[in-house]
Amino acid sequence: MILTLAGLTVGYDSNPVLTGIDLDVAPGEIVTLVGANGAGKSTMVRTIAGLMRPAAGDVVYEGRSITRATPAERLRLGVALVPEGRQVFAGLTVRENLALGTHAVHGSIDAAERRRRLDEVLDLFPVLAQRLDSPAGNFSGGQQQMLAIGRGLMSGPRLLMLDEPSLGLSPLLVSEIFRLICRLRDRGLSILLAEQNARSALAVADRGYVLENGRVALAGSADDLLASSEIAERYLGAGAVAAGSSTAERAMTERLRQLL
Amino acid sequence: MTNFIQLLIGGVLTGCIYALIALGFSLIFRVTGVVNLAQGAFCILAALACASFEMQFGWSILAASLGAVAVAVAVGAVVGATSFVPGLTRLSNANMLMLTAGLLTVFEGAMQLIWGSQPYALEPFSGQEPLAFAGITVPTQGLWMLGITGVLVLALWVLLTRTRLGQALRACSENPTAARLMGVSVPRMTLFSFCLSALIAAIAGVVIAPATSLQFDSGRLFTVSGFIAAVIGGIASLPGAIVGGLVLGVVNTLATAYLSSLYSNAIALGLLLMVLVWRPSGLMAGGPARRQDVRDEARVWKRVHRLSPAAGRFAAVAALIGAVALPHVMPSEAILGSLVIVGILFVALIGLDLLMGWCGQVALGHAGFMAIGGYTAAGLAIDHQVSPLLGIFAGMGLSLVCALVLSVVTLRLRGLYLALATLSFGLLVTSFAVGLTELTGGPSGMVGIPSLEIAGWAFDTTESMYHLVLVLDVVLVVVSQGVMRSSFGRAIQAIRTDQMAAAALGVNVLRTKLVVFAVSAMLASLSGSLYAFNFHFLSPDMVDATRSLELVAMLVIGGEGTLIGPLLGGLLLTLLPTVFAPLASAKTLVSGLLLVGCFLWLPHGLYGLVVDGLNGIFRRFGETARPGAVSEEAAR
Repeated sequence: MILTLAGLTVGYDSNPVLTGIDLDVAPGEIVTLVGANGAGKSTMVRTIAGLMRPAAGDVVYEGRSITRATPAERLRLGVALVPEGRQVFAGLTVRENLALGTHAVHGSIDAAERRRRLDEVLDLFPVLAQRLDSPAGNFSGGQQQMLAIGRGLMSGPRLLMLDEPSLGLSPLLVSEIFRLICRLRDRGLSILLAEQNARSALAVADRGYVLENGRVALAGSADDLLASSEIAERYLGAGAVAAGSSTAERAMTERLRQLL
Repeated sequence: MTNFIQLLIGGVLTGCIYALIALGFSLIFRVTGVVNLAQGAFCILAALACASFEMQFGWSILAASLGAVAVAVAVGAVVGATSFVPGLTRLSNANMLMLTAGLLTVFEGAMQLIWGSQPYALEPFSGQEPLAFAGITVPTQGLWMLGITGVLVLALWVLLTRTRLGQALRACSENPTAARLMGVSVPRMTLFSFCLSALIAAIAGVVIAPATSLQFDSGRLFTVSGFIAAVIGGIASLPGAIVGGLVLGVVNTLATAYLSSLYSNAIALGLLLMVLVWRPSGLMAGGPARRQDVRDEARVWKRVHRLSPAAGRFAAVAALIGAVALPHVMPSEAILGSLVIVGILFVALIGLDLLMGWCGQVALGHAGFMAIGGYTAAGLAIDHQVSPLLGIFAGMGLSLVCALVLSVVTLRLRGLYLALATLSFGLLVTSFAVGLTELTGGPSGMVGIPSLEIAGWAFDTTESMYHLVLVLDVVLVVVSQGVMRSSFGRAIQAIRTDQMAAAALGVNVLRTKLVVFAVSAMLASLSGSLYAFNFHFLSPDMVDATRSLELVAMLVIGGEGTLIGPLLGGLLLTLLPTVFAPLASAKTLVSGLLLVGCFLWLPHGLYGLVVDGLNGIFRRFGETARPGAVSEEAAR
């Protein structure tokens, strides 16, 4: 396993956001986290990236515990996060944004390697190559998402985490982003994907975890989860249930009840 | 023409120094979103240290300068690591602004203890003989200022745009979360920017020291000028800092030469207000400014401490009995006199608490309204024999007008810019108090103010003033308490918690803020009038920016949004030097340290401590303690 979470509990004071999470990611697979708003997906990837400290439990990466490592140390080991909402440096140019991607690993790679990685990223995202010296703030949402992914790749990660990469993008762009995620997996990257858009995420993933109120409610292969009626009712929308209007109505009633 | 060119050169040279200080402001603001008012203190610290090294240890100019800059940067590193950087994670922007004001006070207090209050002047680097060219003379020190400014600006530009460190620094200023994600240590970068601006200010201090004389409290002048320069240029823009500094230097010099030195401050501040109103982002808008809405961002959750009803009743009755009995059991005239001052300041503090603590606005120039009230009532009483009460009302009326005008002018401003506008308003009032000698008696003050007399009752003894102030304070507290429980009071608190949500609930945010601001201005004015009648004397430095910051310190140390809390803060800061005489010389240092310490370690103020203690006692006796009545959670 490239990443193992053992009994991970994260939270503020007595109010845990995640409780006793066990999860693992094998080399070269896409694992997706599915769950409603506030289920704890972002907290989990932020904790793995080192932005938050767990209250209990262990984060094990390639056999060693990184629970106490700083974000910089984790980047050097090969863990990178593409954060929710893209978070590009708006006033800095594309080139500077990408250069900051290598900030943590600067000491261990030479200029030629940096150049090679830059070419690789620009190869993946030709649209960035045309506007290398313009400020990232002027870009559209889709272009910023590509920049954020490219910036994450600059550190040369073996585990890439993406937090809601499809947020606020048009359906066309969403499928482009998911195709790209598959390409990255085919290059040997392990990917942990936190996504509200459960259907698209499960469609590209190998395995999935369903988070509910900070706990793992269900886990299994992506195909099983897609087929599971429980998942369909809760996260894929009532229309996905083929069993007829009565089930759909029941699902709707159930959802309404949850909302109220 | 020669004369004009000569003046222009002088203005540019002064402007260089302003530009350097402004650069420090912009640098820290870009990285943290905080305006560091302690900036000017590093300037003076380096200059005074340099003087000591040269005069007492006999070091050469170069060695003394380098040593002084090193001392200032080291002090900056310690201060930054222990107060500024930890503060960023727990304080709102408004409180950070006031924390830096507290740091400025700490520096002034400490430097007063070390170097005394006499001015120091240094020898120019390259002798007294100025350069003369075509009838124009330039002091050699001026060339040093120009040269060093140029070198510093160039070095800073290279650092920020051409190095990895600079790139990381800019990343922090753009997006701290993403910067952390890139492995950049944001606290370390913040500390670095703090030290870097201390370095720039220290170099400016060493270079300017031979051109002017400096003393322990000149730092605030540099803070104010540098800050005005930064705002004029655009506080988030580094080139703007330089442009702003030069503009301010030239305008100031020309105004001093062609108008009057007394109004050069007023002109600079008028310039600042104009820029704030018409072009808040400055002449050269910088990158996207972050966190600029000082109070609008509820970053810190705070428990608001409330007394349980039983404890509250007990404490109120006990305090009232104590206060009434005090003059009879306390023979010391000095302490009673101090208590009168506390009571008078408490009038202003109630207004300030309504505005800052309850409504969540920032006011850093409230002493300006004290000055308006004081000078109006006293001036009318002396020159026109108007009765004091009428004079007080006239002062409150004028304050109301000023508050409304200021509000209309600053209607578009929010957060930081509003805080800065109130600060400059206070400074503007002070410069008028100094400048309008005919009306105010100028810097030496207004003498011969009669005692307060209301309907035939003369309040000419300390004891009678004490009783008057006591009654007034009690009435004000009871009324304010009632207002806070009314629907208007709830609207005020809603604005503090979440302006947007308040507006969505139908609260007229603008009008409510305006009313609160006007009320607090009138209370400050009333306080200022009483202050003048109590002392029979009023000078600009009794109601200047220091007083404004002292009021804020009292409010914070006592506990914001508690009505009674500020009284505790006022008592502590006023009585401490009276009771412990040795502390009198260190008063500034102590009040600064208390302010900074309270921000960092006692966010609920003294009131929080007292409330927790009283509630604890009452719970232990187990008489009343209704669960849930003891404290309530409220968002700040």
